[in-house]
Amino acid sequence: MNKIVEIKNMTKKYFTKKALDNLSLEIDAGKIVGILGPNGSGKTTLIKILTGLLRQTEGEVFIDKHKVGVYTKSIVSYLPDRNFLYKWMRIEDAGQLFKDFYPDFDEQKFAELLAFMKLEKNMKIDTLSKGMMEKLNLSLVLARNAKLYILDEPIAGVDPVARDQILDAIINNYHENSSMLITTHLVRDMENILEEVVFLKEGKIVLTGDTETLRAEKGKQIDDIYKEVFASEEE
Amino acid sequence: MLKFMKYEIRGTYRFILGVLVLAFILIAGIYNYATRGNSAGGNILVVLSVLLLFGIALVTFLHIVGSFRRELYEDTGYLTFTLPLTGNEIVASKLIVALLWFFLLGLMLALYNLLMLRIFARIDINIIEWLQTLAQFITTRQAVTLVIGAVIDGVSLLLLIYFSMTLSRVTFRNKKIGGFWFIIFLVLSALLSYGQFKVTSFLPYYLDLATLKIGTLESMDIFHLTIRQGLISFTTSQYINLAALVYQIVTMMALFFGTGHLIENKIDL
Repeated sequence: MNKIVEIKNMTKKYFTKKALDNLSLEIDAGKIVGILGPNGSGKTTLIKILTGLLRQTEGEVFIDKHKVGVYTKSIVSYLPDRNFLYKWMRIEDAGQLFKDFYPDFDEQKFAELLAFMKLEKNMKIDTLSKGMMEKLNLSLVLARNAKLYILDEPIAGVDPVARDQILDAIINNYHENSSMLITTHLVRDMENILEEVVFLKEGKIVLTGDTETLRAEKGKQIDDIYKEVFASEEE
Repeated sequence: MLKFMKYEIRGTYRFILGVLVLAFILIAGIYNYATRGNSAGGNILVVLSVLLLFGIALVTFLHIVGSFRRELYEDTGYLTFTLPLTGNEIVASKLIVALLWFFLLGLMLALYNLLMLRIFARIDINIIEWLQTLAQFITTRQAVTLVIGAVIDGVSLLLLIYFSMTLSRVTFRNKKIGGFWFIIFLVLSALLSYGQFKVTSFLPYYLDLATLKIGTLESMDIFHLTIRQGLISFTTSQYINLAALVYQIVTMMALFFGTGHLIENKIDL
């Protein structure tokens, strides 16, 4: 099977502290993979390296057989854990920007997603609530027919209704041929959409595998396995 | 790159329009009081308006160059630096739009001043006549050189600021010491100026723009006599140190590619 992401012996150091420690990981094309771990486990660092916002200290990273750069940025649709749009924009400006820069941006799909999220095109970005902002960002990201979607904490800090809407949007707009990487520590809400999981602890992979297989092997839900793996961290 | 410039312009044009309107009001006030004669209140208002204009100029400059800094320190960097653009394309876009704004602001303010002179002082300046008069003192070659020189100086200054900001961001991850870029800027300015001085001293060969001869300053005439339409005028020649020119162009390119490289390969958001 094609590998959409290949990470070989990757380490990210901040002076002497290792945020990622000799991490190796391969992700098959067409999979939805959850990167799970508590705060500070290295999830966001890993994602930032994949999106070109950070550089690894050691090791190699390939996306679709290319080193992270202009090409990989054109095939990766990234949802950061913050409002990354320019404040002067209206929603339609944000859509136009994505259309201008990403040939895979589907305007029709964007309009459908906005309608689903109950957002109007003429709304100003700086007047949106956190939940609305999250829905808009997700609409932009999912409206692309990208090879790889990377979603950083897509449901953190939003109310339960918005959370369900966001999860529905992810499920309904996911392409079979695309891959999706989702970081979260809200495992219970997300585990049903994940096909594979990677547990990160202090920058290292402590457990990885197919969600169904893990559930069968451990006789537990992924959320319970998560609690077991990170029990010492929570105490 | 043009697409990125479009969003850069759309993001700053409201601020530029606001600055222009404010500057127009202040300039009109200055002309109004200055042409009415002396009054204590009027003089104070003129002084305050001039100070305010300097303030506006400084804030505008900082706002325009701050557009680059905001990408490095604010969340919009998560959008800009994940767009499929090279570091060089991002730097070039920011640079061109900044130059465009400075040029437009300068042009608009110059034209507005001419208008104010006409309205308040009843002075009608014919630009063509004014240029013809100017041409008696300065050759076309000198004028072109002056303009190119000003553009090179402006580009060098902006690139040095961008480079200092990027180097500061790459070196210190802590956003609270973001103002450190100014110290880097001062140190680099001093070093580059010293380098230019040494290069000029080591290779003291100049191009005389009037005669296109190359030589040391001692070997060249300082004044040239010009006779046009019966008028005799002296024009001072312009001399360009060739080594300093090459040094400045090389420095400019190094700053441009250096900033692009840092953005593409070293930035840690």
